[in-house]
Amino acid sequence: MKSAGQLGPATVVQGMNRMSGFLKLASFFALLFLPALAMAAGGAEIQAMSVEYRDVPGIGSRNLVWIVAQQHLLLAGFVLGVPIFAWICELVGWKTKEPRYDKLAKEFTKLLTSAYATTALFGGILLFLLIGLYPKLMAYLTDMFFPSFLVYCLLFLLETATLYMYWYGWDYMQGNKKAFHLFLGFLLNLFALGIMAVPNSWATFQASPVVVGDGDAWARAWMAMQNPTWMPVNIHRLIANVVLGGFIVGAYAGIRYLLAVSQEEREHYDWMGYVGNFIGVFGMLPLPFAGYWLMREVYQYNQQMGITLMGGFLAWLFILQAMLIGVLFLGANYYFWMGITYRIPGSENQYKKPIMAMLVVLLLCLGVWMTPHSLVASLAEAQKMGGTHHPLLGVFGVMSAKMTVANIMILVTFMSFIMYWRAGKQETAVWAKAAKAVMGALLVIGGVAVIVLGVWGYFVPAIIRINYFSVAQVLIVLFIMVTFTPLTALLMKSAKTTTEMVWGKMPIRAGYSLVLNAVMVILLMSLMGYARSSSRVHWHIYGVMRDTSEYAFSPALGYAAAFMSLNTFVYCLLVAFIFWVATLGDKAKAQQPKGPLADVPSGAAPAMAGGAPSSSEAIESGILENHK
Amino acid sequence: MSEVALLQIIGLCVVGTGLLILLFIKGMFLRVLGFVAMVLGTFSLIALSVPQMASLPPAIETFDLAEVKSPDDLAAIGQKIFFSKGQCALCHSIGPSESSRCPDLNGIGAKLAPDFIYESLTQPQAYIYLDFRHGTKPEEYPARMPHIDKDPIGLTKPEIYSVIAFLQKMSGEPISIKVEDIMESAQEPADSLKVALVSSPLKSQMQNLAAH
Repeated sequence: MKSAGQLGPATVVQGMNRMSGFLKLASFFALLFLPALAMAAGGAEIQAMSVEYRDVPGIGSRNLVWIVAQQHLLLAGFVLGVPIFAWICELVGWKTKEPRYDKLAKEFTKLLTSAYATTALFGGILLFLLIGLYPKLMAYLTDMFFPSFLVYCLLFLLETATLYMYWYGWDYMQGNKKAFHLFLGFLLNLFALGIMAVPNSWATFQASPVVVGDGDAWARAWMAMQNPTWMPVNIHRLIANVVLGGFIVGAYAGIRYLLAVSQEEREHYDWMGYVGNFIGVFGMLPLPFAGYWLMREVYQYNQQMGITLMGGFLAWLFILQAMLIGVLFLGANYYFWMGITYRIPGSENQYKKPIMAMLVVLLLCLGVWMTPHSLVASLAEAQKMGGTHHPLLGVFGVMSAKMTVANIMILVTFMSFIMYWRAGKQETAVWAKAAKAVMGALLVIGGVAVIVLGVWGYFVPAIIRINYFSVAQVLIVLFIMVTFTPLTALLMKSAKTTTEMVWGKMPIRAGYSLVLNAVMVILLMSLMGYARSSSRVHWHIYGVMRDTSEYAFSPALGYAAAFMSLNTFVYCLLVAFIFWVATLGDKAKAQQPKGPLADVPSGAAPAMAGGAPSSSEAIESGILENHK
Repeated sequence: MSEVALLQIIGLCVVGTGLLILLFIKGMFLRVLGFVAMVLGTFSLIALSVPQMASLPPAIETFDLAEVKSPDDLAAIGQKIFFSKGQCALCHSIGPSESSRCPDLNGIGAKLAPDFIYESLTQPQAYIYLDFRHGTKPEEYPARMPHIDKDPIGLTKPEIYSVIAFLQKMSGEPISIKVEDIMESAQEPADSLKVALVSSPLKSQMQNLAAH
C-alpha cells in the first residue's frame, strides 16, 4: 500500500504546498493589534468599490474566516442547543416536581448570558471579515437577502429580551407563575430556531441556489431562502444542536465529577452527566436519518455535487466521519454500560452477556462502516486483487452495507438505553410478559428485516435502493423506537424497584468518556462543515458565482483535519472559560456564611448573572438533603 | 520536508504532550486537557494517513466574440452560457426530469421562433404558462421565470442570441441566428462577454438528466 506521501500525482498533495498558513497563526494574532489589516486594496474610493477580494498576509483570508466562522458556528450550536436542553429539564422538573431538574436547567441557563455574548462577538467579527475580505460575494448575498437580514436582527432583539426575562425572572416566576416561565422558555427556543434558520438559508443558497424570479425585495428573498437544501439543513442542525447541548453538558458534568471533592458533588455531577448523555444520545439516534435526507436532497438537486461528496475527492472524509460516529456510539454505549454496572449494584452479572454481545455487534458494524469503497493500492497490489476493490472487503464498502450497519448501531444504542432503563426494576404488570415477548419479537424481526433489505440492496438498481429500501430500513428502526419507548415507560410505571440507583460511584473513566463524546461531536460538526463547504468546490455560489481568489481550491483532508482539531481545541478552551466565568459567583457564595442569606425571601431579589440566588441554594440544600 | 510530514510531526508532538500530561501531571483539569489533546492529535494523524487529495479549480475559460466564425461556434458558446452564467439549468431540464421545476426545453428550438424565445427570456410575464403535464388541473410552475437580461443574471443581447442558437441546434433545427447580427447587437466591448464557464456543475447535472 502506498502512504499518503507517496501518492505523487498532480491531483494529490498539490494543494498542501499552498497551505503554509497553518503554521502562521501567530501572525494572525499579531495582526489583530495592527490599526490597519494590510488590505490589498487601497487608494481611491472607486477602486475599493471594484475590489472582489482582500487578503490577510500570513494566515490568508480563507483560513482566518475558517477559524472565526467555525468558532461562531460551534458557539451558536451551544447557545441554541443548551436552551433546548434547559427547557426540557425545566419541563421535566415541573412535571415530576423534582427540584433538581429545575436547578439543572437554571445552572445551564446561567451559562447562556456569557455564551450568548461570546457568540455574538464572533458573529460580529465574522461579519466584518466577510464584508472586508469577500466584498463581491457579500454584495451579491446582500442584494439577494437583505430583507432577511432585517428579520434576523428582529429575531435577535426578541431572543435577547426573552433570554433576559427567562434568566432574570427564574426565581420570581416560581409556583403559579412557572407556566409563564416555561412559555418564555418555549419562546426563547422558538426565536432561537428562527435565528438558526435564517442564516441557514444564506449558506444553503450558496450550495443549492435557485433562480429568483421577479418581485419585490421580500418576495425575492423568500424565493432564495426556499432552496432545496434549506429545510433538510434546518432539521439536521436543530437535532445536532440538541446533541451538542446534551454532550457539552455531559462533558461539563464529567469534568466537575473528576474535580469533585465531596460525595455530594460527585452524586450531583454523576446525575448531571447521566442527563446530558441521555439527551445527547436521544438526539443522536434520529440524526443519521436527517443526514440521509439532506444527502438525498443534495443528490436530487445536483448529482455531481453528491458524487463529489460521496465518491469524489471527499470520499475518504466519510471514512473519518464513520470513525468519529463509531467512537461516539461506543462512548455513549460504554457510559450506559458503566451506569448499569456501577449505579445499579448486582446488575453487572445479569447484563454482562448482553453487553458483550452489543459490544461485538457495534465493533463489527463500525468495521463495515469504516471500510473504504476502494483501497489505495500499488499497481502490483491492484493486479493481485483484480482492481482497487478488495474481493471480500469491497463488498462492505458500498452504501447498502453502510446504511445497514448504521441502522443496526442505532438499534443497539437504543437497546442499551432500554436495558439501562429496566435495570434494577421488576415489572409487576400482568401483561408484562406478553409486552416483553412482543418487544423481543419486534426486535428480532426488525433487525432481520434491516439486514435482509441491506443484502437485497446489492441486487437492485441504486434508485430502488435509495428510494425504497433505505427508507424502509429507517422506518423499521424508527418504528421500533416509537413502539418500545411508550411500552417500556408503561411497564416501568408499575414496576417495583429491586435495586436503588446509587449516584457518585462511577469510575474516573466515566468522566473521560463524557469528555470524549463531546469532543467527537464537536469534531463531527467541524468535519461536516468542511464537507458541506468543499462540496461547492470552486464556487462561492454553486454554478452561479465562481471563486476566483487564490483560495479557490479545497484543501486536502489531512490539512483540514489539523485545522478542525485546532478549532475544536480552541472551542473547548472557550467553553471551559465560559463555564469558569459563570461559576465564579457560585464559588464566592459558597465561601460566604449562609445565615443572613437564608432570611431573604424567595423572589425578593433578582438573580445575578454568574451567581446562584437564594432560592436556588434552598433547592440545592434540598437536593443535598434528599441525597442524604 | 513536505507539509504532510510536518503536520504528522506536529500531530505526534501533540499526542506525546498529552500522554506526558496524563502520566506526570496530577491536576485534573490539565489532565483532561491532555486527554483532549491526545484525542485531537490522534484524529489528525489518522486523517493525514488517508489519501491527500486537494480539489483544484479548473482554469477559467474565456471567449471573445471576435473568435466566433460560424453559427456552430455561437451555439457552443450558448451551451456554456446555458449551463453557467445564464443559470437556465437551475430550473429547466433538457429531457424529462422529476426534479425540474420549470418546463422541459427538449426540442424547444424547433417549436418556437427565435423572436418568441427572445421575448420569453426578456419579458417572461408577457405570456403566462401553466404546467399541463400531470393530466389534472394545470398548475403554476414552482419557480417563476426571471428577466434574463436584468440583474442578477444580466445576459447581454449577444449572449441571449447565443443561447437561442444553442436551443435551436439542440433541437436539430438549423441555426437561424447570424453571426453578423450578433456583431451588430454587441453594444458592449468584447471583454464584457468573458465568463467563467468550464466544468460547470449544472452542465454535468443536465448531461446526467439528459442521459436518464
